[in-house]
Amino acid sequence: MSGHESIKELLALAAGGALDAPEQRRLEEHARECPACRRELEIWSAYSQGLHQLPQPAAPAQLVERTRARVWQERASAADRRWDEMMLGALALFAWTVGLTAWFVARIFTGGALVFLGTNLVRFGTWSAISTVLVWLTAAVAALALGKRRREFRRAL
Amino acid sequence: MILAAAMNPEALSGVDDTIVRVRRGDPDALTALISRYQHRLYRYLVRLVREPAAADDLFQQTWLRVMEKIGRYDARRNFEAWLFSVAHNLAVDSWRLKRGDSLDDTGDSGETRGSALGDRLPLDQPDALERLLDFERGAMLAACIHELPAIHREVLTLRFEEDMKLEEIAEVAGIPLATVKSRLRRALEGLRAAMELRTQGGRGA
Repeated sequence: MSGHESIKELLALAAGGALDAPEQRRLEEHARECPACRRELEIWSAYSQGLHQLPQPAAPAQLVERTRARVWQERASAADRRWDEMMLGALALFAWTVGLTAWFVARIFTGGALVFLGTNLVRFGTWSAISTVLVWLTAAVAALALGKRRREFRRAL
Repeated sequence: MILAAAMNPEALSGVDDTIVRVRRGDPDALTALISRYQHRLYRYLVRLVREPAAADDLFQQTWLRVMEKIGRYDARRNFEAWLFSVAHNLAVDSWRLKRGDSLDDTGDSGETRGSALGDRLPLDQPDALERLLDFERGAMLAACIHELPAIHREVLTLRFEEDMKLEEIAEVAGIPLATVKSRLRRALEGLRAAMELRTQGGRGA
């Protein structure tokens, strides 16, 4: 590649201010001797100037306010979700504790046998199964109630 | 005050006070930060995705992501480059979702065409830009940029409108420095070729 050809590759980059010091020096030395490259530099310089002065797109009205509102809404929703998860966890733990305590009490009062439809209800396995169903049902109802209340609250705002 | 600064490592490392406050969840600081970058970030997104509605949505998504990640933002990094890289990644994701390809896959044919035409431009003729009147130049340049591949539009706006250094552009676009340089050259040559085509077309009509 001739000197002129290799310099041509640097001309556009010169307009972008993207040459390193040795490339810049090489280009300047060549341009002093080469009218064609000096002319190219002039043209690229006009492009650079034009690119600095492009018509600017106008940001839409209320962009900052809408963005801020969306960010806080998202943060509030995330905080709500965390709170709900914590509450439901605590509720489940509480229900389990009540279930276990009730099992102890029931065993004491019934002497270990409370038969209903052929099933001993105070046997640990049966009691646990019933408690689990009750706990999850309670949690689901609580979650639905919380969700409904929050939606109503948001609509009211 | 000195004691307060000594107790706060972020204050010592010179992190922008607004960013520190945003990290603590201060709504006013967030508004100030969004306002500060409003026009620049929106302009970058409009240049990148071309559609104002998409740019508007990406602008909001960018700030949602910023709030998610601000706790992990490394204060030694340039905040602007970090912010624009968040926007870049979201634009790339939306591009993939919509078109099934990436932002970086959309410029190959344009690159080849641009440099080939650029090489044929005669050196002793008035250039396309010079043939235009002053008031026409901005609109014509903007129209030609609009036709360029996304990766070229991006590098041009970051370099000339955002005045970012090549290293910062590399950080935003997630590409090596050498690629930024070659991309910038191809973008400029493609732009000039597009201007040449447009003005020749205009004269011939």
